[in-house]
Amino acid sequence: MKRTNNKLGWLFSSPYIIFTCIFFLLPLLWSFWLALTNWNLISPDIKFVGLQNFTKAIMDPKIHQAFFVTYKFLIVFVPLALIMSMLVAVLVNRLPKFKGLFMVAFFLPYLSSGVVTSLIVKGILSYNGPISTWMRETLGLDVDWLGSPTSALVVVSVMIAWKMSGYYGLILVSGLNSINDEIYEAAALDGVTPWQRFWKITIPMLYPSLYTVLILAIGVSFGIFTEVYQLTGGGPNGATNTWQMEIYNQAFVNLNSGYASAIALIAAVVTFLSIGILRNLIEKWGHHYGWN
Amino acid sequence: MVGTKHKSLKTTLNYTFTIAFLLIMIFPFIYLVLNSFASWNQVDKKLIPTSYSLRSWQWLFSNNVTVAPAPWIAAFLHTFIVSTISVALMMVFAVTVAYALAKVEFRGKKFVDNFLLFQMFFPAIILLIPQFLLVTKIGWIDSYQGMILPTAVSLWAIFMYTNFFKAIPDTLIESAKLDGATDLQVLFKIVVPMSKSITTVIFLFLYTERWTTLLWDMIVSKSDSTVTLNVLISQMFGPYGTYPGPMYAASVLLTLPLIILFLLFSRNFQDGMQYTLK
Repeated sequence: MKRTNNKLGWLFSSPYIIFTCIFFLLPLLWSFWLALTNWNLISPDIKFVGLQNFTKAIMDPKIHQAFFVTYKFLIVFVPLALIMSMLVAVLVNRLPKFKGLFMVAFFLPYLSSGVVTSLIVKGILSYNGPISTWMRETLGLDVDWLGSPTSALVVVSVMIAWKMSGYYGLILVSGLNSINDEIYEAAALDGVTPWQRFWKITIPMLYPSLYTVLILAIGVSFGIFTEVYQLTGGGPNGATNTWQMEIYNQAFVNLNSGYASAIALIAAVVTFLSIGILRNLIEKWGHHYGWN
Repeated sequence: MVGTKHKSLKTTLNYTFTIAFLLIMIFPFIYLVLNSFASWNQVDKKLIPTSYSLRSWQWLFSNNVTVAPAPWIAAFLHTFIVSTISVALMMVFAVTVAYALAKVEFRGKKFVDNFLLFQMFFPAIILLIPQFLLVTKIGWIDSYQGMILPTAVSLWAIFMYTNFFKAIPDTLIESAKLDGATDLQVLFKIVVPMSKSITTVIFLFLYTERWTTLLWDMIVSKSDSTVTLNVLISQMFGPYGTYPGPMYAASVLLTLPLIILFLLFSRNFQDGMQYTLK
């Protein structure tokens, strides 16, 4: 069918190949080499220190913290994103008219910059902001949303879940649309309760869309940066210090580019393995429903 | 009779719930806009301000009120230039590479295909520091090239287009070639126009993401001559914390173009999402 045309193929894929060599392969090799040095971005002499950066990183309590903080985000953010997007999808899917219009409106949060969201959240939730002040004066509750470790982590998770809910909701709506109404009608004849219907029909039939949303959300939780950088600076007390935040601080604030490269390599391996394992678990869950 | 009444009540309830939830979801935007127009003594003091003024916006657009404001308008133009050129390159490269991967047989294609997939799942964080060093070595720090070229290829866009192009029948391309069309003509006159809805989706996602990029622009841009609006707002977060009004106005300036763009293309976007989600 298709003619073999080596010249054309290579010519047309050359933008990708050239880009990958310059901005992927070269930096990749460079980062392995950097991780074995103690270079500080400025000094002219670079000392080769072997695996010292890696051993230091493995012993560093800040690295342990970044490791656990990422999983905390995963545990809080992924269910939140799932619940919020599911709510969007179920609500929109029930409407007889204007589905498209509502879906577009729910998608708007995706267009926000993390910097702007942080500004708004800081405005609303800071200690002297409208909500905390109201709670102090009216309810007598003294709450510092961004100043306590648990609530800061939850606030950041809610912000990102809010941003993603419309996008994920769109994926789930198209999944809900593809479920045949006849299945629900047959189930209604068999006297299935709404609760059973949701767990025994909707969720299993929705699995392909759920899979997409879960994989996307898991990917997001391993790459949290902007909101944390802007709103909490990784604090309070490192409670929201993610991998990206730690790498940024080590490389561009403390100027330890060698050490930061070692941390980045460790972070990459941890991320890669974690996502692989989680993916496997989600696929197992799918097999359970008969999906392959 | 009872049935229809019951049904219309249910529909009304559904709409009420949906609208209520929607209002909660877009409240941050409402808060943002209202506070950009609020009197300065009310900014961040009430959920819905009660007295309004144009002071924040005047501050943003003028150069000598109260405290010399940073070059917000220039930053907006930088964001526009960087995003538009980056995304234009991403789109052109994506359709070209995707055409090769979907419609041309060549030696090494399997390898390119697999490598692309591997790269897509590769944690990009490793590349941040050496990419920064590379850009520094070439002398692109604080330049448009430095912000644009390292982000000129989108793996995701190539992947999406490749899958879409595979569904376009080969016979269509063959017959155009029999009429004497070159591959470049086939690509831009036949294949790309056929992909309008998916192009809208890819364009909107790429543009939004590029427009709101923080980390890369932040480390490359070093002065007011290249700083993007997103980075500028981020930098002014601390020092201008006492002037939240203008910060909200700048944020509206950053967010509004994306919303307008999205609403303009929303019909095509909905069609396109149907394809991408299959």
